[in-house]
Amino acid sequence: MLAVLTWSACVSKTAAPAGTRPFIDEIGRTILVKPEPQRIVSLAPSITETLFALGLGDRIVGVTSYCDYPAEAATKEKVGDTQRPSIERIIALKTDLVIASTASQLQQFVHSLEEVGTPVYVSDPKGLDGVIESIAKIGELTGTTFKAHELTTDLRNRLDNLQSRLSGAERPRVLCLLASNPLITIGAKSFITDLINRAGGRSISDDLAGDYPQYSLETAVAKRPEVIFLEMGDPDFPARLRATPAGRSGRVFHIDDNLLVRPGPRIVDGLEEMAHKLHPNVFGSQ
Amino acid sequence: MTISIRGTQQITPGVARKRLTARRLIVTLGVLLLLIIVMIVAATVIGSEHVSIDAIIKIVTGRGADVTPEERVIFAEIRLPRVLMAVVVGAALSVAGAAYQALLRNPLADPYILGVSTGAALGAIAAIVFAESLAVSRPLAAFVGAVLTLTIVSILGRNRQGGSAERLILAGVIVNAFLSSLVIFLVTESGSRQRSVISWLVGYLGGEPGLLPVVAAFIFAGILVVFANARSLNLLMMGEEDALALGVEVRRVKIAVYLAASLITGAAVAVSGVIGFVGLIIPHAIRLAGGSDNRLVVPASALVGGAFLLVADTVARTVIAPRELHIGVITALIGAPAFIYLLRRTS
Repeated sequence: MLAVLTWSACVSKTAAPAGTRPFIDEIGRTILVKPEPQRIVSLAPSITETLFALGLGDRIVGVTSYCDYPAEAATKEKVGDTQRPSIERIIALKTDLVIASTASQLQQFVHSLEEVGTPVYVSDPKGLDGVIESIAKIGELTGTTFKAHELTTDLRNRLDNLQSRLSGAERPRVLCLLASNPLITIGAKSFITDLINRAGGRSISDDLAGDYPQYSLETAVAKRPEVIFLEMGDPDFPARLRATPAGRSGRVFHIDDNLLVRPGPRIVDGLEEMAHKLHPNVFGSQ
Repeated sequence: MTISIRGTQQITPGVARKRLTARRLIVTLGVLLLLIIVMIVAATVIGSEHVSIDAIIKIVTGRGADVTPEERVIFAEIRLPRVLMAVVVGAALSVAGAAYQALLRNPLADPYILGVSTGAALGAIAAIVFAESLAVSRPLAAFVGAVLTLTIVSILGRNRQGGSAERLILAGVIVNAFLSSLVIFLVTESGSRQRSVISWLVGYLGGEPGLLPVVAAFIFAGILVVFANARSLNLLMMGEEDALALGVEVRRVKIAVYLAASLITGAAVAVSGVIGFVGLIIPHAIRLAGGSDNRLVVPASALVGGAFLLVADTVARTVIAPRELHIGVITALIGAPAFIYLLRRTS
């Protein structure tokens, strides 16, 4: 029976196999998926974090080798890294739902998985609001609508709270560095530029084209940043930036970039951390 | 590649089509030196931020009381060291290329084909990726990588009869391929440091201003060693037996030049990352324009190589400012057409 179902799913994609329903993913594809998928494979760290936050830890059967949060993710079967997952492993795990992110650029891989009848939901969050909407949709997809509503309401409340406490506060000039030798910073279109704005700062490189441009050290000094954020794993603080207001006042912070670059629920943690560093007076802590 | 060092075997001092007199040597080098000084001055005036000439003169002459701290840092700690680093690294890579090409009698020999650059890159990248457990500075790790690679290539390149040029180049190519795959492995495992690692692989001249005096002294000494052996290199290019017959201490010259070229490559790559094209192209351009006498090729390569990398880096840091381009993109974009022009003009 199962064999017939799988076979018919391959031959005719229009006729829904019994027990599945059509669902539209975030890039507009229609997939056929069980109402409550029981064997889910996540192909991105942000998706894994979202699924755990929705209380779906028990239903995850596979994650990528980059999925390091929460700690239980380490106990899950690895299906490869985000760029090169193993299609054989995913099939062997009897997966009934794969969730991928557009960030991993897996179009070809998604197509191959569809060919063998495994439904793939592609997540494509744009901006902070997009992240929250994506969490809601994944809740709907996995039959955890109620939990997702709870989670997104909490996230939205925290955002509103942040916004109201920061209204009227001055916006310090921020230099955010993803690498320090040479300087790699964030451009206008980067997600992190949006986060810095919401955290009550202003990126000095928000006029640059590109997501992550290599940045002139001369300009970094000339723009006199008041706060510098450094990527967590980068131990060096460029000595020549000590002459900036941020360097002189010691407002140079390492920040966990996993909180900033992963479009999952912890993005709001990263945002709050930034806001606290930018506005110690408002939040009463340094 | 139609130019061949073998074709220049007849071009020895005394029978060259253009005889290299002391006067011609001094005039040529004098003009090149003047040119590079003008270029250095010009390059320190332009940058992504405007610093007035008035302010620059005040900083240089130490009367900078009314210069802003930003202007001082931008000029004295960022721009000037980077300009000088470009000159020093360009000179080092070009002289190393000229030395390898003469020594190995192979027109394609340069610091890359012998694996020295990749060895340095591997050292530096290992220092970035294992930063927690390996408390070695990036430049030092790069230098160690270069020296280790050089040792391995030299041992593999030797057979019972001693080394041969072909064998050494083959050993270099193989070691290079092996090291490259290790580099790629480390890049995929570098996680959040991937951006630093990749930036290092495409070269950056603004990274280690504190090391400029040491590296410059080291490279200058290395260039002097190669230059001191230039006459012997001319004879070596005719063939080792002939050179021996003419009284060249072949073994001593080979070891001295090989060591000097490799050490200056290691020092250059340690502070600038991997910058291609310069070491291969500049010595050929000099030979095409001025003949193959190494007494001219070595010092002229240093000056022209330094000027070339200075132009390339000035373009890299200004054309899309305040963003920057990768230096390797510019060296190939400017260098390849310029070289083709020279090649066609002389053939």
